[in-house]
Amino acid sequence: MLMPDPDQQVIDRSDEICAALRDLVPGNCVIDSPESMRAFDADGLSAYRQLPLVVVLPETVDEIAAVMKYCHQQGIKLVPRGAGTSLSGGALPLSDAVLLGLGKFNRILEIDYENRCVVAQPGVTNLAITDAVQHDGFYYAPDPSSQIACSVGGNVAENSGGVHCLKYGLTTNNLLGIEIVTIEGEVLRFGGKHLDAGDYDLMGIMTGSEGLLGVVSEVTLRILQKPATARALLVGFDNTDDAGQAVGDVIAAGIIPAGMEMMDGLAISAAEDFANAGYPRDAAALLIIELDGPEVEVNTLIARVQAIVQSAGATSIRISQSEEERNLFWAGRKSAFPAVGRISPDYLCMDGTIPRRKLPDMMRRMASLSQKYGLRVANVFHAGDGNLHPLILFDANAPGQLHRAEEFGADILRSCVEMGGVLTGEHGVGVEKRDLMTIQFTEEDLKQQQRLKCAFDPDHLLNPGKVFPHLHRCAELGRLHVHKGKLPHPDLPRF
Amino acid sequence: MTDINAKNLDEVGAAIRTAMADKTSLDVIGTGSKRHLGCETNADAALNTSAMSGIIDYQPEELVMTVRAATPMREIESVLNAANQMLPFEPPDMGHILGQHSTGTGGSIGGIIATNLSGPRRLTAGAARDYLLGFEAISGRGERFKSGGKVMKNVTGYDLSKLMCGSFGTLAVMDEITLKTLPAAETNISLLLHADSFNAAVKLIAEVFATPHEPGSAAILPQAIAAEANLCSAKAGAGSAFTAVIRLEGIAPSVDDRLANLKALFGGEMLAKPASDTLWRQIRDVQPLAELPQDIWKLSVAPADAPKIIAAMDSISDVSYFADWAGGLLWLSSPKSEQLGLTLRQALSGLHGGFAMLVRDVGATRRQIAPFQPLPPGMFDLHKRVKAAFDPLGVLNFGRMHASI
Repeated sequence: MLMPDPDQQVIDRSDEICAALRDLVPGNCVIDSPESMRAFDADGLSAYRQLPLVVVLPETVDEIAAVMKYCHQQGIKLVPRGAGTSLSGGALPLSDAVLLGLGKFNRILEIDYENRCVVAQPGVTNLAITDAVQHDGFYYAPDPSSQIACSVGGNVAENSGGVHCLKYGLTTNNLLGIEIVTIEGEVLRFGGKHLDAGDYDLMGIMTGSEGLLGVVSEVTLRILQKPATARALLVGFDNTDDAGQAVGDVIAAGIIPAGMEMMDGLAISAAEDFANAGYPRDAAALLIIELDGPEVEVNTLIARVQAIVQSAGATSIRISQSEEERNLFWAGRKSAFPAVGRISPDYLCMDGTIPRRKLPDMMRRMASLSQKYGLRVANVFHAGDGNLHPLILFDANAPGQLHRAEEFGADILRSCVEMGGVLTGEHGVGVEKRDLMTIQFTEEDLKQQQRLKCAFDPDHLLNPGKVFPHLHRCAELGRLHVHKGKLPHPDLPRF
Repeated sequence: MTDINAKNLDEVGAAIRTAMADKTSLDVIGTGSKRHLGCETNADAALNTSAMSGIIDYQPEELVMTVRAATPMREIESVLNAANQMLPFEPPDMGHILGQHSTGTGGSIGGIIATNLSGPRRLTAGAARDYLLGFEAISGRGERFKSGGKVMKNVTGYDLSKLMCGSFGTLAVMDEITLKTLPAAETNISLLLHADSFNAAVKLIAEVFATPHEPGSAAILPQAIAAEANLCSAKAGAGSAFTAVIRLEGIAPSVDDRLANLKALFGGEMLAKPASDTLWRQIRDVQPLAELPQDIWKLSVAPADAPKIIAAMDSISDVSYFADWAGGLLWLSSPKSEQLGLTLRQALSGLHGGFAMLVRDVGATRRQIAPFQPLPPGMFDLHKRVKAAFDPLGVLNFGRMHASI
């Protein structure tokens, strides 16, 4: 992975830069020894590591603003970091960039039941929001699997999802307001506790912008009443086509489950070995279908779903009879990643989305790619919304295997786009999928996105080297070619 | 003003590039139903996209529909109805308050997206912006680009769909709009609760939302409007100052169960289909204020702050209003429109955010007071830079939202 050329002049100034930063934030908030910075050299995509120029951990919004203003004035790059759980390298440091950690922003500022929202600092963990309100029956819906560790500011930057997106949406659908600090050090508020406003939806743009547009310094999140009941079905199939059909049939019947997850044979047995969840080991595909809501509704829909999966060819059906049993159904799925980690020294977790009806085609494609690359693949899907998580098994110590695994992963993502889908459903582009962006987007698509970047960060100081495969100078992107009423070379096909 | 007709994005691109070269500006028109929303623009020509109409692809099982921008809402709704699906944000038909243009079509989907208009279900299901999955467009630079996709879960690149929603056509001209659909609710029922004051109604609704009985929508109707809608039965509600209307949607056994639970907690009366459908359609389309021969304002605020706005209205005589979104959306009307607008914005300035917009202008109020709430300086500068990123010469709907945007 090629990152932007480090600016040696900035690196040479590191002592001066650290001293200047210590004037802006308390001295212990600036970390510049290599040993201490080691804790910040990677995020969840740990195949890539890099020590930053310096780590700054501000404690107030004013300090964030002062650090950013300084970096802007001095032309120093800046990489924002929340909890560092990104799976796509969004918080990967650069050797010539300040790493701005938001870890000290760990306070919930306000719980507002009348307006059904929580105002929190960006470093608060996702799960802490629910923990703070659950005794009153409320919860925060987006639940990425890293929710015990990931921060809500990072959730905004990545537009994080989870297993309940189909019914409850991603972060962007559960956000009411944010405060951001721009690269110039200006503090702006988008949204609030109200719903819609009459300006550009800059909160929507910030969500999922992967730290390239600004730093989130406060969030206002919508909270919901916890559903009265939740029950799950655990359904086995002897082939993935039938399981895929069942998923489509449930939705066609007008039912939107709270979660609808699929696992393939390899994932089933790995998870069962790990969690003893009672999964049917002989099944080639397993669905976990969870329904939540009022008890009478859940019971009615459970019966409907049972009939649907039966006629789709289910080979086994279990329905949770207690919270313990429902949690057990999930225990296997939630441990799928560590479970696969036990059967293989290393694995790569991919994250594409396809139209759901293409699932059988995708399974066949993956089987043939698995043969081509000589690497096993275990599959867990958010089947309800077509979001795939193929886990490619490899051994980093075996020469060439990491490279083969990456090529395999790239082929899977190419297939996703080819089948009408997209490169990433919830993990983000980061550095991991950066060079694949041209598969999904035309040059002009990417240029238009970068023009928006220029509106926020004209000098490309925020998180450079992420998301976009080619960095264009803003002056070049903004150039218009209008001449005597004609564009140059009008005969050339432009679209 | 001349009309330029475009049948597809190539023709849109040609029209925009010509305008760029000629240093002229364009009003972008679909079915024209919302043409009088926002500021006057002084555009040199109208770019009429009404021929860009039709459903391109609809896969009910995928919960995805791709349509051309000027497709009439009526057409989209009838196709969705046939598949028992819906656009969950409940797009309103603004024809009742904005005039006859939209009668029969319900406006176009492009217009709904451009104005990010959502109905009563917005409170729990999200806005138009939450259901736009992707699009193709020509920017104000005359260049074609796409964003998003045709799948439900996608974080690849910036989410330009959000930006397009509510940008009032000032950034790009869209086509091939992909929307997320959902199964339609099998049935619905409403619970009518009575309150002595607006404040009490807001608090009552907050209590309802603190139960697990899944209220979906919540409106507050003052007595005069409730009476007009025949909601004042002979029972307890007759004459009560405010009626809080709670809508429950879902499968019949669930709706019945939730209604029984809420009635046990809060009392009240039920309003069944089809009266419930009719009432929510009237609320969605702002019909309770439509017949008044005067301006209409829309105000969005944190629900718990809405009573402060209502209290501030005391200084103006003859304000008619009702609330949706649990109090967070106020529709207001008065013969003294300019004073109303100033008072609303004054009241908002002491609160934590919100905005007041002039939606219907029967005279020339918008020459006296900006229809869109003015932006603070930092936000205005950023808006100008965002505008320039898409439309640097100000070709598209220039000035429609804010001066020089």
